[in-house]
Amino acid sequence: MALLRETYLLLWKDLLLELRRRDSLLTMFFFGTLLLFVFHFSFDPAPEKVAAMAPALLWLAFLFTGTLGLAQLFHSERENHCLDALLLSPLDRGALFLAKSCFNLVLMVVVEIVVIPLFWILFNLSSWNLLPQLFLVTLLGTIGFCVLGTITSAITLRARARELLLPLVLFPLMIPVILATIRCMENVLRTGEFGDAIPWLRLLIGFDVIFLTVGVLIFDWVIES
Amino acid sequence: MRVGLKTLHITVEKLAKAYGLLWALRDLTFDLKPGDLVALLGPNGAGKTTLLRILAGLATPTSGSVHLDGAMLLRASTALRTQVGFLAPGDHLYENLTARENLNFFTSLYGRKNNFDAIDQALRAVNLTDRAGEYVANLSSGMKCRLSIAKWQLLQPGVLLLDEPYGVLDGSGVDLLENFLQGQCAAGRIVIVASHHVSRVLKMASRALILDQGRLTFDEVKREPWPNFDKAFREFLPHGETWRS
Repeated sequence: MALLRETYLLLWKDLLLELRRRDSLLTMFFFGTLLLFVFHFSFDPAPEKVAAMAPALLWLAFLFTGTLGLAQLFHSERENHCLDALLLSPLDRGALFLAKSCFNLVLMVVVEIVVIPLFWILFNLSSWNLLPQLFLVTLLGTIGFCVLGTITSAITLRARARELLLPLVLFPLMIPVILATIRCMENVLRTGEFGDAIPWLRLLIGFDVIFLTVGVLIFDWVIES
Repeated sequence: MRVGLKTLHITVEKLAKAYGLLWALRDLTFDLKPGDLVALLGPNGAGKTTLLRILAGLATPTSGSVHLDGAMLLRASTALRTQVGFLAPGDHLYENLTARENLNFFTSLYGRKNNFDAIDQALRAVNLTDRAGEYVANLSSGMKCRLSIAKWQLLQPGVLLLDEPYGVLDGSGVDLLENFLQGQCAAGRIVIVASHHVSRVLKMASRALILDQGRLTFDEVKREPWPNFDKAFREFLPHGETWRS
């Protein structure tokens, strides 16, 4: 219960700070939509071809916008050495991990809720009925991204070139999540159901559960070392 | 997790800290008992902040150990470790939370019941009642320091470490701080103040430690007159000045 209470407390604080500053969300939102417009003006293939490319293009946009958010994840803790204040407190370090992951998840989901329908509109796609399944897969992929992103963001927190280091450490580790998410989305767009992509969906869920658990267990060591 | 107020002992044994090839602290050994108000003195780069950070558990020593009530600090229970407070003026406060929200957040984090009366009282004690709803970013350095005092007044740690607290405070702020610290020591808590305001800090200190190039060169209980201190500290003062001036 203490873990959940502390997670809620930290998440409330992060959301309040973000509502007041709006720097992460606005940056992610504008960058995400900007990428869609770049994709739209760069190539204009037939809708059926776009449907095949949509998962990869969308995830390209999510990866870059998400990385922008991750780079700012510990911004409020770096300011005034507030991370030290948290480390001095009896706070369960796992709660810090959960709160930061949830915070980044909230930001990314808000961006995705705008970006995915915008993609459908810009590329004139007709498969609106598949959006719920696509949102579900995207949510699972985003959870994996946020969980792993929070761990790598904490690892690179004290590095001098952390903004450069973060994607270099994160992206290779993200390959299973990206691969599984894209395969699932492709299958849904092609057949209208998960079908053959069920093993990929299982991999995605397994990845989320494993790294969520690992994050809670090792964050103490990650953040203090 | 609420921890009962208690008095603590600190034992530092053969403590050393290196940053790469540079030794910031070397072979420090001393004991602190409940009620000690220690002036931690020394020139720039002597290792004062490094020592405070190690005592707070925010940095790990290269060798040696810090024991808190017999338990090694880095392996001590969270409840024991969080008995150590660190007051660095302007630090450890969220800029985009208001003064009241900062106090509310940190008291909640320490498992204190949200007692708005206690927060109001702490803000009144440091003369910040009318700035309670302002973002910390809009407060002056002195006000931030007052807010930090209010924070630790609410959290009541067993050991309080202060890093150069005098620089940003006005006269009434200094009185406030000194009353607070003397109250802490009277309640049996340990206070360590690292400062270059020697005369101020020695006025209330019960003991002085001098660090020079990472070594503990002086450790005595205060007395009057204090010829050993005069001799030990003379070389760190501007030419022709005494610490009493």
